[in-house]
Amino acid sequence: MLQNIQYFLTPFLDWQMILLVWAGVFAGIWVGAIPGLSGTMAVSLLISFTFSWELNSALALMCGVFVGAVYGGAITAILLNIPGAPAAIATGMEGYPLAQRGEAGKAIGLCTTVSLFAGMVGVAVLACAAPIIANFALKFSPRDFFLLALMGILLIGSIGGGDPVKGVMAGTIGILISMVGMDPSTGELRYTFGNINLMAGISFVTAMIGLFGISEALTQFRGGNDNPPKQNLDKIIPNLKTFLKYLPLAIRSSMLGVFIGALPGTGGDVAALLAYDQAKRTTRNPEVPFGQGAYEGIVAPETANKGAIGGAFIPMLTLGIPGDAITAIIIGGLFIHGLKPGPMLMIETPHLFWMIVGLLIIANVALFILGLLSVKPFAKIIEIPKSVIMPIVIILSVIGTYAIQNSVADIFYMIGFGVIGYFMRLYGYATGPMVLGIILGPMLDANYRRTMQAAEDQIVPFLTGFVTSPLSLMLCIFIFFMIFSQTKTYKKWRKIS
Amino acid sequence: MSKSEEKTDVYNIENASGEEEHGLSAYVPERYRKPGEIGFAIIATVFGVLGYYFALGMTSDSYSAPSVFPKLASVIIIACGVICIFKACRKDAPEPGSPNVFRYLFPRDVIVILLMLLAYCVLLPKLHFIVSSYLFMAGGMVYLHRGKYIWQSMLISAGAMVVLVAIFRYVFLVILP
Repeated sequence: MLQNIQYFLTPFLDWQMILLVWAGVFAGIWVGAIPGLSGTMAVSLLISFTFSWELNSALALMCGVFVGAVYGGAITAILLNIPGAPAAIATGMEGYPLAQRGEAGKAIGLCTTVSLFAGMVGVAVLACAAPIIANFALKFSPRDFFLLALMGILLIGSIGGGDPVKGVMAGTIGILISMVGMDPSTGELRYTFGNINLMAGISFVTAMIGLFGISEALTQFRGGNDNPPKQNLDKIIPNLKTFLKYLPLAIRSSMLGVFIGALPGTGGDVAALLAYDQAKRTTRNPEVPFGQGAYEGIVAPETANKGAIGGAFIPMLTLGIPGDAITAIIIGGLFIHGLKPGPMLMIETPHLFWMIVGLLIIANVALFILGLLSVKPFAKIIEIPKSVIMPIVIILSVIGTYAIQNSVADIFYMIGFGVIGYFMRLYGYATGPMVLGIILGPMLDANYRRTMQAAEDQIVPFLTGFVTSPLSLMLCIFIFFMIFSQTKTYKKWRKIS
Repeated sequence: MSKSEEKTDVYNIENASGEEEHGLSAYVPERYRKPGEIGFAIIATVFGVLGYYFALGMTSDSYSAPSVFPKLASVIIIACGVICIFKACRKDAPEPGSPNVFRYLFPRDVIVILLMLLAYCVLLPKLHFIVSSYLFMAGGMVYLHRGKYIWQSMLISAGAMVVLVAIFRYVFLVILP
């Protein structure tokens, strides 16, 4: 025990590690804020960059970038309605209307404060219950991942806004677009039309940048005044009363984030969307309706994606299975530094586990301080006239898209998605569900087919599996509740009770 | 029609939706059809039909075949598309005095920026990133400033390009197109 405390305190007593975490968080915030540049890309760059460093310093920098990048995605989502990362899509839906009302500072301040809380919840769960959660996460079969993806798809009702039929249509078009490319299980080409550029599929980040970034720019060019809203930056840190008001939601969402983050293959994006949905369903009488700048709609996704950071480390450190793309790269980094990530990692190198716990705590504190310090400069971005900022945003979108896989074709796709997104906005088809469809389509398709193959392509065994497995049955009940909670009967009952 | 009247028209049409007043939480169907709304729903439906048609060429010998989801998604798109067409047809015709489809979709600024984006796409492989992006940025700013502040626009664009290239090329090691 004492030995573990000593390992845990190592990063707190090493000024070089503290400095590297802070530098990582700072860089991560900016990387995360730029659409197209992701934490995954930054951490993978760091692998080669820190190749000759000692392990502790390399891990310090990587943990800092990871935490900073997840937070950074919310900044451009709130200020420009262009999420820096898919995990910030829901944040932008509520944050942008707030920014338009001059409350960007307050929104980012609340986002930063709850991020610290959720980050700490994630770390606490990682430190206290990692092996239990990891073993539970391993019980998830392809059928359960299929159900999880289905739950994600049902969020269309939450993030679509407007006409639900249009939301479903946009989401399904997203699923169809996600089918483009080589089928990962059979190698069959789907919707590629002989075009070599389509064989790798269409990156959801390309689609996201186009559907949010370019379409937002085009919508802004439709007219209106060029004078941006003046931002009120007097009270950016929420007071204790405000914090306590959102605390129950923050606890729920961060725990959801930790759990979703711990599931291999799912990360902060799914967690944030699920948390946003549950906030929307469970919040009674929000001060501002959802879709118009509800603070609950910022608290839920932001606490979920920060909780997912701690969650992603759980299977990585206890089983050697990455919780998300960034932890997959960190595993690669550990191999490079001569370690063997796997079930024995925690037993053979307990110092690594406790050091990462310590590093994440430092990173979350750094995030809180650096986040609050950067609220004012960030909020100034929104005060730049759109005639100046929008051409820069378009070029930024171009670089971000090209950076994904160095493909000029991706730039054309991104612009194409932008124009489609612009038309969709004009006719009341929300762009969020389409991105959701592109993100969850492959997960839905692959896990459905795995489940069906496990049932030997027989319908009856396939269906009975959903009720005979306790985990699947529980998820089915959740899905049933998600659908039922949208009915008039349920809404009427909630109003009465 | 003056430019300000044109803009007001566009806004009136967009705000004909109940969403603006009631928020996204409570969907209130719009009363008036937007110009081109039926056409857009038809295009989306045709997208679904094409999706199904091309899925017919995929392997479909079992319930776990690669064509299952494309076909299922296409059918849902077609069904939703038909509902959208039906709903759009039931709405009142676009308000009198509303712009035609082309003018509704492409106000002057949008069409100019789209043409600039098209030119940018053509020039990008030939002039490469720095020159083509600078031309797009400076051109866009000069146009959006209505021909005023030309020098300022060119300087801001140059400054922005220097910062972007420095950050992406030399800090994040992104190879620019």
